[in-house]
Amino acid sequence: MEAIRTRIELAGQGRSSTAGDREAVFEARDVSVFYGDQRAIDRVNIDIYQRLITAIIGPSGCGKSTFIRTLNRMTDLVPSARLTGELRYRGIDLYGPRVDAVEVRRRIGMVFQKPNPFPKSIYDNVAYGLRILGMKKDLDERVEKALRSAALWDEVKDRLKDSALGLSGGQQQRLCIARAIAVEPEVVLLDEPASALDPIATSAIEDLMHELKRDYTLVIVTHNMQQAARVADMTAFFGLEVSPDGNRQGVLVEYDETEKIFTNPSDKRTEGYVTGRFG
Amino acid sequence: MRELYTSELEELESLLREEGQLVDRAIRAALNVLDRDDLELADELIAFDDEIDRRYLTIEQSIPSLLARQTPVAGELRLVLAILYINLHLERIGDYCVTVAKLAKLAHGLPRDRDVLEALEEMGERCREMLSTGLEYFYARDFTDSKALIEMDRPIDRANRKLIDRLIALGPEEPQREWAMRMMLASRCLERIGDHAVDIGEQAAYLVRGRFEEFTDASHKTPRATS
Repeated sequence: MEAIRTRIELAGQGRSSTAGDREAVFEARDVSVFYGDQRAIDRVNIDIYQRLITAIIGPSGCGKSTFIRTLNRMTDLVPSARLTGELRYRGIDLYGPRVDAVEVRRRIGMVFQKPNPFPKSIYDNVAYGLRILGMKKDLDERVEKALRSAALWDEVKDRLKDSALGLSGGQQQRLCIARAIAVEPEVVLLDEPASALDPIATSAIEDLMHELKRDYTLVIVTHNMQQAARVADMTAFFGLEVSPDGNRQGVLVEYDETEKIFTNPSDKRTEGYVTGRFG
Repeated sequence: MRELYTSELEELESLLREEGQLVDRAIRAALNVLDRDDLELADELIAFDDEIDRRYLTIEQSIPSLLARQTPVAGELRLVLAILYINLHLERIGDYCVTVAKLAKLAHGLPRDRDVLEALEEMGERCREMLSTGLEYFYARDFTDSKALIEMDRPIDRANRKLIDRLIALGPEEPQREWAMRMMLASRCLERIGDHAVDIGEQAAYLVRGRFEEFTDASHKTPRATS
Protein backbone atom coordinates (compact mmCIF):
# COMPACT_ATOMS: atom_id res chain seq x y z
CA MET A 1 0.00 0.00 0.00
CA GLU A 2 2.76 2.38 1.00
CA ALA A 3 4.53 1.91 -2.32
CA ILE A 4 1.32 2.52 -4.24
CA ARG A 5 0.56 5.66 -2.28
CA THR A 6 4.07 7.00 -2.85
CA ARG A 7 3.77 6.39 -6.57
CA ILE A 8 0.46 8.19 -6.76
CA GLU A 9 1.84 11.17 -4.85
CA LEU A 10 4.89 11.31 -7.09
CA ALA A 11 2.74 11.25 -10.18
CA GLY A 12 0.74 14.14 -8.80
CA GLN A 13 3.83 16.20 -8.10
CA GLY A 14 5.34 15.62 -11.51
CA ARG A 15 2.35 17.12 -13.19
CA SER A 16 2.20 20.39 -11.36
CA SER A 17 5.89 21.27 -11.35
CA THR A 18 6.23 22.52 -14.93
CA ALA A 19 6.73 26.18 -14.20
CA GLY A 20 5.95 26.32 -10.50
CA ASP A 21 9.33 26.93 -8.88
CA ARG A 22 11.30 27.78 -12.02
CA GLU A 23 13.28 30.92 -12.41
CA ALA A 24 12.12 33.31 -15.10
CA VAL A 25 14.89 33.98 -17.63
CA PHE A 26 12.93 36.58 -19.58
CA GLU A 27 10.31 38.90 -18.18
CA ALA A 28 8.43 40.92 -20.79
CA ARG A 29 6.31 43.77 -19.48
CA ASP A 30 4.02 45.59 -21.91
CA VAL A 31 6.41 44.93 -24.76
CA SER A 32 5.24 46.47 -28.03
CA VAL A 33 7.24 46.51 -31.26
CA PHE A 34 6.71 49.01 -34.05
CA TYR A 35 7.95 48.95 -37.62
CA GLY A 36 7.74 52.62 -38.44
CA ASP A 37 4.17 53.62 -37.50
CA GLN A 38 2.91 50.08 -37.78
CA ARG A 39 2.50 48.28 -34.45
CA ALA A 40 3.53 44.62 -34.94
CA ILE A 41 2.94 43.36 -31.41
CA ASP A 42 0.96 45.04 -28.69
CA ARG A 43 1.81 45.01 -24.98
CA VAL A 44 3.05 41.49 -24.47
CA ASN A 45 3.49 40.30 -20.90
CA ILE A 46 5.17 36.97 -20.44
CA ASP A 47 7.71 35.18 -18.24
CA ILE A 48 9.89 32.61 -19.95
CA TYR A 49 11.32 29.99 -17.61
CA GLN A 50 14.74 28.47 -17.28
CA ARG A 51 15.49 25.08 -18.84
CA LEU A 52 12.06 24.61 -20.27
CA ILE A 53 11.00 24.56 -23.89
CA THR A 54 8.58 27.38 -24.57
CA ALA A 55 6.69 27.27 -27.85
CA ILE A 56 5.18 30.30 -29.51
CA ILE A 57 2.31 29.48 -31.84
CA GLY A 58 -0.17 31.56 -33.77
CA PRO A 59 -1.38 32.43 -37.26
CA SER A 60 0.77 34.15 -39.88
CA GLY A 61 1.35 37.80 -39.11
CA CYS A 62 0.62 37.50 -35.40
CA GLY A 63 4.10 38.74 -34.52
CA LYS A 64 5.53 35.53 -33.13
CA SER A 65 8.78 35.85 -35.12
CA THR A 66 8.94 39.53 -34.24
CA PHE A 67 8.60 38.64 -30.60
CA ILE A 68 11.27 35.93 -30.56
CA ARG A 69 13.64 38.33 -32.34
CA THR A 70 13.24 40.90 -29.57
CA LEU A 71 14.63 38.32 -27.14
CA ASN A 72 18.18 38.63 -28.51
CA ARG A 73 17.85 42.12 -29.97
CA MET A 74 17.70 40.91 -33.55
CA THR A 75 15.05 43.58 -34.07
CA ASP A 76 17.91 46.11 -33.69
CA LEU A 77 18.99 45.05 -37.16
CA VAL A 78 15.78 46.41 -38.67
CA PRO A 79 16.33 50.20 -38.90
CA SER A 80 12.67 51.16 -38.57
CA ALA A 81 11.98 48.84 -35.63
CA ARG A 82 11.33 50.26 -32.19
CA LEU A 83 10.46 48.59 -28.91
CA THR A 84 8.50 50.00 -26.01
CA GLY A 85 7.84 48.49 -22.63
CA GLU A 86 10.39 46.53 -20.68
CA LEU A 87 12.16 43.30 -21.51
CA ARG A 88 14.36 41.95 -18.74
CA TYR A 89 16.82 39.12 -19.14
CA ARG A 90 17.87 37.72 -15.77
CA GLY A 91 16.67 40.91 -14.19
CA ILE A 92 18.66 43.18 -16.51
CA ASP A 93 16.89 45.51 -18.95
CA LEU A 94 17.86 43.94 -22.27
CA TYR A 95 17.41 47.23 -24.10
CA GLY A 96 19.23 49.29 -21.44
CA PRO A 97 21.92 51.76 -22.56
CA ARG A 98 24.91 49.80 -21.27
CA VAL A 99 23.90 46.44 -22.72
CA ASP A 100 26.13 45.20 -25.55
CA ALA A 101 24.05 43.62 -28.32
CA VAL A 102 26.92 41.33 -29.34
CA GLU A 103 27.18 39.94 -25.82
CA VAL A 104 23.39 39.51 -25.79
CA ARG A 105 23.57 37.39 -28.93
CA ARG A 106 26.40 35.27 -27.50
CA ARG A 107 24.29 34.45 -24.47
CA ILE A 108 21.10 34.12 -26.47
CA GLY A 109 21.73 32.17 -29.66
CA MET A 110 19.39 31.81 -32.58
CA VAL A 111 18.58 29.19 -35.20
CA PHE A 112 16.52 30.12 -38.26
CA GLN A 113 13.94 28.45 -40.44
CA LYS A 114 16.25 27.84 -43.38
CA PRO A 115 19.53 26.22 -42.43
CA ASN A 116 22.17 28.85 -43.20
CA PRO A 117 25.63 27.35 -42.77
CA PHE A 118 28.58 29.47 -43.91
CA PRO A 119 30.19 28.29 -47.17
CA LYS A 120 33.03 26.86 -45.13
CA SER A 121 34.03 23.50 -43.73
CA ILE A 122 31.89 21.77 -41.12
CA TYR A 123 34.63 22.41 -38.55
CA ASP A 124 34.97 26.10 -39.39
CA ASN A 125 31.23 26.65 -39.16
CA VAL A 126 31.28 25.59 -35.53
CA ALA A 127 34.65 27.25 -34.77
CA TYR A 128 33.70 30.57 -36.38
CA GLY A 129 31.90 32.13 -33.43
CA LEU A 130 34.45 30.73 -30.98
CA ARG A 131 37.32 32.39 -32.86
CA ILE A 132 35.50 35.73 -33.14
CA LEU A 133 34.75 35.72 -29.44
CA GLY A 134 38.32 34.78 -28.61
CA MET A 135 37.32 31.39 -27.21
CA LYS A 136 40.24 29.74 -28.96
CA LYS A 137 41.53 27.58 -26.13
CA ASP A 138 40.76 23.89 -26.66
CA LEU A 139 39.11 24.73 -29.95
CA ASP A 140 39.00 21.10 -31.17
CA GLU A 141 37.37 19.97 -27.94
CA ARG A 142 34.82 22.75 -28.07
CA VAL A 143 33.92 21.94 -31.67
CA GLU A 144 33.56 18.25 -30.88
CA LYS A 145 31.45 18.98 -27.80
CA ALA A 146 29.11 21.24 -29.76
CA LEU A 147 28.73 18.70 -32.56
CA ARG A 148 28.08 15.93 -30.04
CA SER A 149 25.48 18.05 -28.25
CA ALA A 150 23.80 18.68 -31.59
CA ALA A 151 23.71 14.91 -32.24
CA LEU A 152 25.78 15.37 -35.38
CA TRP A 153 29.26 14.23 -34.35
CA ASP A 154 28.95 10.59 -35.40
CA GLU A 155 27.75 11.59 -38.84
CA VAL A 156 30.50 14.13 -39.56
CA LYS A 157 33.53 13.22 -37.45
CA ASP A 158 35.39 11.73 -40.44
CA ARG A 159 34.76 14.67 -42.73
CA LEU A 160 35.14 17.77 -40.63
CA LYS A 161 37.12 19.49 -43.39
CA ASP A 162 34.36 18.92 -45.98
CA SER A 163 32.12 21.80 -46.98
CA ALA A 164 29.07 22.23 -44.77
CA LEU A 165 27.03 22.80 -47.92
CA GLY A 166 27.39 19.11 -48.77
CA LEU A 167 25.33 18.09 -45.75
CA SER A 168 21.62 17.25 -45.98
CA GLY A 169 19.07 19.87 -44.90
CA GLY A 170 18.51 18.16 -41.55
CA GLN A 171 22.25 17.88 -40.93
CA GLN A 172 22.76 21.52 -41.90
CA GLN A 173 20.13 22.54 -39.37
CA ARG A 174 21.79 20.50 -36.63
CA LEU A 175 25.09 22.12 -37.66
CA CYS A 176 23.48 25.53 -37.17
CA ILE A 177 22.34 24.39 -33.72
CA ALA A 178 25.93 23.20 -33.00
CA ARG A 179 27.19 26.59 -34.15
CA ALA A 180 24.71 28.33 -31.86
CA ILE A 181 25.58 26.25 -28.79
CA ALA A 182 29.38 26.21 -29.37
CA VAL A 183 29.71 29.65 -27.81
CA GLU A 184 27.99 28.37 -24.68
CA PRO A 185 24.84 30.45 -24.68
CA GLU A 186 22.22 30.21 -21.96
CA VAL A 187 19.26 30.46 -24.28
CA VAL A 188 18.67 29.12 -27.78
CA LEU A 189 15.92 30.71 -29.85
CA LEU A 190 14.59 28.62 -32.72
CA ASP A 191 12.48 30.26 -35.38
CA GLU A 192 10.62 27.52 -37.28
CA PRO A 193 13.70 25.27 -37.07
CA ALA A 194 12.11 22.24 -38.71
CA SER A 195 9.63 23.68 -41.18
CA ALA A 196 11.98 23.08 -44.13
CA LEU A 197 12.79 19.52 -43.05
CA ASP A 198 11.28 16.11 -43.72
CA PRO A 199 9.62 14.19 -40.86
CA ILE A 200 12.73 12.14 -40.03
CA ALA A 201 14.99 15.19 -39.83
CA THR A 202 12.23 16.99 -37.91
CA SER A 203 12.07 14.18 -35.42
CA ALA A 204 15.89 14.35 -34.97
CA ILE A 205 15.64 18.09 -34.24
CA GLU A 206 12.83 17.51 -31.75
CA ASP A 207 14.81 14.79 -29.95
CA LEU A 208 17.75 17.14 -29.89
CA MET A 209 15.65 19.91 -28.33
CA HIS A 210 14.58 17.51 -25.64
CA GLU A 211 18.25 16.73 -24.90
CA LEU A 212 19.28 20.37 -24.98
CA LYS A 213 16.77 21.52 -22.42
CA ARG A 214 18.87 19.89 -19.71
CA ASP A 215 21.41 22.69 -20.20
CA TYR A 216 19.63 25.43 -22.09
CA THR A 217 16.46 27.44 -22.08
CA LEU A 218 14.77 26.98 -25.43
CA VAL A 219 12.18 29.13 -27.16
CA ILE A 220 10.71 27.86 -30.41
CA VAL A 221 8.42 29.53 -32.90
CA THR A 222 6.47 26.97 -34.85
CA HIS A 223 3.61 26.77 -37.31
CA ASN A 224 3.28 23.11 -36.58
CA MET A 225 0.97 22.73 -33.62
CA GLN A 226 1.66 19.06 -33.14
CA GLN A 227 5.32 19.98 -32.88
CA ALA A 228 4.54 22.46 -30.11
CA ALA A 229 2.39 19.81 -28.41
CA ARG A 230 5.20 17.26 -28.69
CA VAL A 231 8.20 19.29 -27.58
CA ALA A 232 7.12 22.26 -25.49
CA ASP A 233 6.58 22.47 -21.74
CA MET A 234 4.92 25.86 -21.99
CA THR A 235 3.01 27.25 -24.95
CA ALA A 236 2.20 30.86 -25.76
CA PHE A 237 -0.55 31.53 -28.27
CA PHE A 238 -0.30 34.80 -30.17
CA GLY A 239 -3.37 36.03 -32.00
CA LEU A 240 -4.03 38.71 -34.53
CA GLU A 241 -6.09 41.69 -33.52
CA VAL A 242 -7.33 44.63 -35.56
CA SER A 243 -7.28 47.82 -33.52
CA PRO A 244 -9.90 50.59 -33.98
CA ASP A 245 -7.46 52.53 -36.21
CA GLY A 246 -7.23 49.55 -38.57
CA ASN A 247 -3.78 48.46 -37.41
CA ARG A 248 -3.27 44.68 -37.47
CA GLN A 249 -1.21 43.67 -34.50
CA GLY A 250 -0.16 40.56 -32.64
CA VAL A 251 -1.24 40.04 -29.04
CA LEU A 252 -0.47 37.33 -26.53
CA VAL A 253 -3.82 35.61 -26.07
CA GLU A 254 -2.96 32.77 -23.75
CA TYR A 255 0.13 31.36 -22.09
CA ASP A 256 0.04 28.16 -20.08
CA GLU A 257 1.37 24.66 -19.72
CA THR A 258 1.31 22.93 -23.09
CA GLU A 259 -0.94 20.17 -21.80
CA LYS A 260 -3.50 22.76 -20.73
CA ILE A 261 -3.36 24.61 -24.06
CA PHE A 262 -4.03 21.41 -25.99
CA THR A 263 -6.62 19.80 -23.72
CA ASN A 264 -8.48 22.66 -22.12
CA PRO A 265 -7.47 26.14 -23.29
CA SER A 266 -9.05 29.00 -21.37
CA ASP A 267 -9.58 31.34 -24.29
CA LYS A 268 -12.01 30.67 -27.15
CA ARG A 269 -9.50 32.10 -29.63
CA THR A 270 -6.88 29.57 -28.56
CA GLU A 271 -9.42 26.77 -28.84
CA GLY A 272 -10.33 27.94 -32.33
CA TYR A 273 -6.74 28.05 -33.45
CA VAL A 274 -5.46 24.78 -31.99
CA THR A 275 -8.46 22.84 -33.26
CA GLY A 276 -8.07 24.41 -36.69
CA ARG A 277 -11.55 25.95 -36.70
CA PHE A 278 -10.06 29.30 -37.64
CA GLY A 279 -6.82 31.28 -37.60
CA MET B 1 -10.60 18.65 -44.54
CA ARG B 2 -12.05 20.57 -41.67
CA GLU B 3 -15.60 19.89 -42.92
CA LEU B 4 -14.96 16.19 -43.24
CA TYR B 5 -13.57 16.14 -39.71
CA THR B 6 -16.58 18.00 -38.30
CA SER B 7 -18.99 15.66 -40.05
CA GLU B 8 -17.09 12.65 -38.70
CA LEU B 9 -17.45 13.98 -35.17
CA GLU B 10 -21.16 14.62 -35.71
CA GLU B 11 -21.58 11.13 -37.12
CA LEU B 12 -19.94 9.62 -34.04
CA GLU B 13 -22.16 11.58 -31.74
CA SER B 14 -25.34 10.65 -33.59
CA LEU B 15 -24.33 6.98 -33.47
CA LEU B 16 -23.84 7.36 -29.73
CA ARG B 17 -27.30 8.92 -29.48
CA GLU B 18 -28.78 5.92 -31.28
CA GLU B 19 -26.91 3.59 -29.00
CA GLY B 20 -28.23 5.50 -25.98
CA GLN B 21 -31.81 5.12 -27.19
CA LEU B 22 -31.35 1.41 -27.84
CA VAL B 23 -29.87 0.93 -24.37
CA ASP B 24 -32.84 2.70 -22.81
CA ARG B 25 -35.16 0.32 -24.67
CA ALA B 26 -33.07 -2.60 -23.41
CA ILE B 27 -33.50 -1.51 -19.79
CA ARG B 28 -37.25 -1.11 -20.31
CA ALA B 29 -37.39 -4.57 -21.88
CA ALA B 30 -35.39 -6.11 -19.02
CA LEU B 31 -37.90 -4.68 -16.54
CA ASN B 32 -40.81 -6.07 -18.56
CA VAL B 33 -39.15 -9.49 -18.70
CA LEU B 34 -38.89 -9.51 -14.90
CA ASP B 35 -42.37 -8.17 -14.37
CA ARG B 36 -44.18 -10.52 -16.75
CA ASP B 37 -41.83 -13.51 -16.53
CA ASP B 38 -41.88 -13.35 -20.32
CA LEU B 39 -39.51 -15.91 -21.88
CA GLU B 40 -40.09 -14.80 -25.44
CA LEU B 41 -39.26 -11.20 -24.63
CA ALA B 42 -36.16 -12.41 -22.76
CA ASP B 43 -34.87 -14.07 -25.92
CA GLU B 44 -35.68 -11.00 -27.97
CA LEU B 45 -33.77 -8.84 -25.55
CA ILE B 46 -30.75 -11.13 -25.68
CA ALA B 47 -30.76 -10.91 -29.48
CA PHE B 48 -31.36 -7.16 -29.37
CA ASP B 49 -27.95 -6.70 -27.75
CA ASP B 50 -26.40 -7.25 -31.20
CA GLU B 51 -27.98 -3.96 -32.29
CA ILE B 52 -26.29 -2.16 -29.41
CA ASP B 53 -23.00 -3.92 -30.06
CA ARG B 54 -23.06 -2.92 -33.71
CA ARG B 55 -23.14 0.79 -32.77
CA TYR B 56 -20.62 0.19 -30.04
CA LEU B 57 -18.17 -1.46 -32.41
CA THR B 58 -18.57 1.14 -35.14
CA ILE B 59 -17.75 3.91 -32.66
CA GLU B 60 -14.95 1.91 -31.05
CA GLN B 61 -13.33 1.26 -34.42
CA SER B 62 -13.79 4.78 -35.79
CA ILE B 63 -11.98 6.49 -32.95
CA PRO B 64 -8.42 5.21 -33.47
CA SER B 65 -8.68 6.22 -37.11
CA LEU B 66 -10.01 9.66 -36.20
CA LEU B 67 -7.25 10.16 -33.63
CA ALA B 68 -4.59 9.11 -36.13
CA ARG B 69 -5.84 11.24 -39.01
CA GLN B 70 -7.22 14.34 -37.35
CA THR B 71 -5.28 14.52 -34.04
CA PRO B 72 -8.10 16.28 -32.20
CA VAL B 73 -7.08 18.72 -29.48
CA ALA B 74 -8.73 20.89 -26.83
CA GLY B 75 -12.56 20.65 -26.76
CA GLU B 76 -12.59 18.24 -29.70
CA LEU B 77 -10.13 15.94 -27.95
CA ARG B 78 -12.32 15.94 -24.87
CA LEU B 79 -15.37 15.23 -27.03
CA VAL B 80 -13.71 12.22 -28.67
CA LEU B 81 -12.56 10.86 -25.31
CA ALA B 82 -16.01 11.39 -23.79
CA ILE B 83 -17.59 9.51 -26.73
CA LEU B 84 -15.05 6.72 -26.31
CA TYR B 85 -15.89 6.23 -22.62
CA ILE B 86 -19.64 6.78 -22.84
CA ASN B 87 -19.72 4.23 -25.64
CA LEU B 88 -18.10 1.72 -23.31
CA HIS B 89 -20.51 2.50 -20.48
CA LEU B 90 -23.54 2.09 -22.77
CA GLU B 91 -22.27 -1.23 -24.01
CA ARG B 92 -21.79 -2.44 -20.44
CA ILE B 93 -25.35 -1.38 -19.55
CA GLY B 94 -26.57 -3.36 -22.54
CA ASP B 95 -24.72 -6.41 -21.22
CA TYR B 96 -26.31 -6.06 -17.79
CA CYS B 97 -29.74 -6.06 -19.47
CA VAL B 98 -28.81 -9.32 -21.18
CA THR B 99 -27.76 -10.75 -17.83
CA VAL B 100 -31.12 -9.76 -16.34
CA ALA B 101 -32.88 -11.51 -19.23
CA LYS B 102 -30.84 -14.67 -18.66
CA LEU B 103 -31.55 -14.58 -14.92
CA ALA B 104 -35.26 -14.21 -15.66
CA LYS B 105 -35.10 -17.28 -17.88
CA LEU B 106 -33.39 -19.27 -15.14
CA ALA B 107 -36.00 -18.10 -12.64
CA HIS B 108 -38.91 -18.98 -14.93
CA GLY B 109 -41.69 -20.91 -13.23
CA LEU B 110 -40.36 -20.43 -9.70
CA PRO B 111 -42.61 -18.83 -7.04
CA ARG B 112 -42.46 -15.03 -7.33
CA ASP B 113 -42.85 -12.25 -4.81
CA ARG B 114 -44.76 -9.12 -5.82
CA ASP B 115 -42.96 -6.76 -3.41
CA VAL B 116 -39.58 -7.77 -4.76
CA LEU B 117 -40.73 -7.32 -8.34
CA GLU B 118 -42.07 -3.87 -7.56
CA ALA B 119 -38.80 -2.89 -5.94
CA LEU B 120 -36.90 -4.07 -9.02
CA GLU B 121 -39.25 -2.12 -11.28
CA GLU B 122 -38.68 0.97 -9.14
CA MET B 123 -34.89 0.55 -9.32
CA GLY B 124 -35.01 0.05 -13.08
CA GLU B 125 -37.08 3.17 -13.65
CA ARG B 126 -34.62 5.22 -11.57
CA CYS B 127 -31.82 3.79 -13.71
CA ARG B 128 -33.55 4.93 -16.88
CA GLU B 129 -33.97 8.41 -15.44
CA MET B 130 -30.31 8.53 -14.49
CA LEU B 131 -29.18 7.35 -17.88
CA SER B 132 -31.28 9.93 -19.69
CA THR B 133 -30.05 12.66 -17.32
CA GLY B 134 -26.38 11.69 -17.81
CA LEU B 135 -26.79 11.56 -21.58
CA GLU B 136 -28.71 14.83 -21.62
CA TYR B 137 -25.84 16.56 -19.83
CA PHE B 138 -23.58 15.28 -22.57
CA TYR B 139 -25.79 16.21 -25.54
CA ALA B 140 -26.53 19.67 -24.19
CA ARG B 141 -22.90 20.29 -23.12
CA ASP B 142 -24.56 21.69 -20.07
CA PHE B 143 -23.44 20.87 -16.66
CA THR B 144 -24.92 22.69 -13.78
CA ASP B 145 -25.93 20.01 -11.34
CA SER B 146 -23.79 16.98 -10.61
CA LYS B 147 -25.76 16.43 -7.40
CA ALA B 148 -28.90 15.47 -9.32
CA LEU B 149 -27.31 12.27 -10.56
CA ILE B 150 -25.92 11.33 -7.17
CA GLU B 151 -29.30 12.05 -5.58
CA MET B 152 -30.97 9.74 -8.09
CA ASP B 153 -28.45 7.01 -7.35
CA ARG B 154 -29.22 6.98 -3.61
CA PRO B 155 -32.78 5.52 -3.84
CA ILE B 156 -31.35 2.78 -6.04
CA ASP B 157 -28.80 1.83 -3.43
CA ARG B 158 -31.48 2.02 -0.75
CA ALA B 159 -33.92 -0.11 -2.75
CA ASN B 160 -31.16 -2.62 -3.39
CA ARG B 161 -30.52 -3.01 0.33
CA LYS B 162 -34.22 -3.25 1.18
CA LEU B 163 -34.68 -5.81 -1.52
CA ILE B 164 -32.00 -8.00 -0.03
CA ASP B 165 -33.74 -7.93 3.37
CA ARG B 166 -37.01 -8.88 1.70
CA LEU B 167 -35.37 -11.70 -0.25
CA ILE B 168 -33.76 -13.15 2.87
CA ALA B 169 -37.17 -13.13 4.53
CA LEU B 170 -38.80 -15.06 1.68
CA GLY B 171 -38.52 -18.42 3.36
CA PRO B 172 -36.49 -21.60 3.50
CA GLU B 173 -38.03 -23.55 0.59
CA GLU B 174 -35.58 -24.33 -2.18
CA PRO B 175 -37.59 -22.87 -5.13
CA GLN B 176 -38.02 -19.63 -3.18
CA ARG B 177 -34.34 -19.55 -2.30
CA GLU B 178 -33.38 -20.09 -5.93
CA TRP B 179 -35.69 -17.35 -7.15
CA ALA B 180 -34.35 -15.02 -4.45
CA MET B 181 -30.77 -15.62 -5.54
CA ARG B 182 -31.58 -14.94 -9.18
CA MET B 183 -33.41 -11.74 -8.25
CA MET B 184 -30.54 -10.65 -6.03
CA LEU B 185 -28.23 -10.85 -9.02
CA ALA B 186 -30.76 -8.98 -11.17
CA SER B 187 -30.88 -6.28 -8.53
CA ARG B 188 -27.10 -6.09 -8.55
CA CYS B 189 -27.21 -5.62 -12.36
CA LEU B 190 -29.62 -2.71 -12.01
CA GLU B 191 -27.49 -1.15 -9.33
CA ARG B 192 -24.46 -1.37 -11.62
CA ILE B 193 -26.46 0.25 -14.44
CA GLY B 194 -27.02 3.20 -12.12
CA ASP B 195 -23.28 3.41 -11.47
CA HIS B 196 -22.55 3.49 -15.21
CA ALA B 197 -25.11 6.27 -15.64
CA VAL B 198 -23.23 8.31 -13.01
CA ASP B 199 -20.00 7.66 -14.92
CA ILE B 200 -21.64 8.93 -18.10
CA GLY B 201 -22.51 12.12 -16.23
CA GLU B 202 -18.84 12.38 -15.17
CA GLN B 203 -17.78 12.21 -18.79
CA ALA B 204 -20.21 14.99 -19.64
CA ALA B 205 -18.70 17.05 -16.82
CA TYR B 206 -15.21 16.38 -18.19
CA LEU B 207 -16.28 17.51 -21.63
CA VAL B 208 -17.77 20.74 -20.34
CA ARG B 209 -15.33 21.65 -17.57
CA GLY B 210 -12.10 20.25 -18.95
CA ARG B 211 -11.19 18.41 -15.78
CA PHE B 212 -12.17 15.02 -14.59
CA GLU B 213 -14.31 14.79 -11.51
CA GLU B 214 -15.48 11.68 -9.76
CA PHE B 215 -18.98 12.27 -8.39
CA THR B 216 -18.98 9.26 -6.14
CA ASP B 217 -16.40 6.70 -5.34
CA ALA B 218 -16.79 3.46 -3.41
CA SER B 219 -13.68 4.27 -1.37
CA HIS B 220 -14.38 7.99 -0.76
CA LYS B 221 -17.49 9.56 0.66
CA THR B 222 -17.15 13.01 -0.88
CA PRO B 223 -16.65 13.84 -4.57
CA ARG B 224 -13.05 14.21 -5.63
CA ALA B 225 -11.62 16.31 -8.42
CA THR B 226 -8.38 15.74 -10.28
CA SER B 227 -7.08 18.31 -12.69
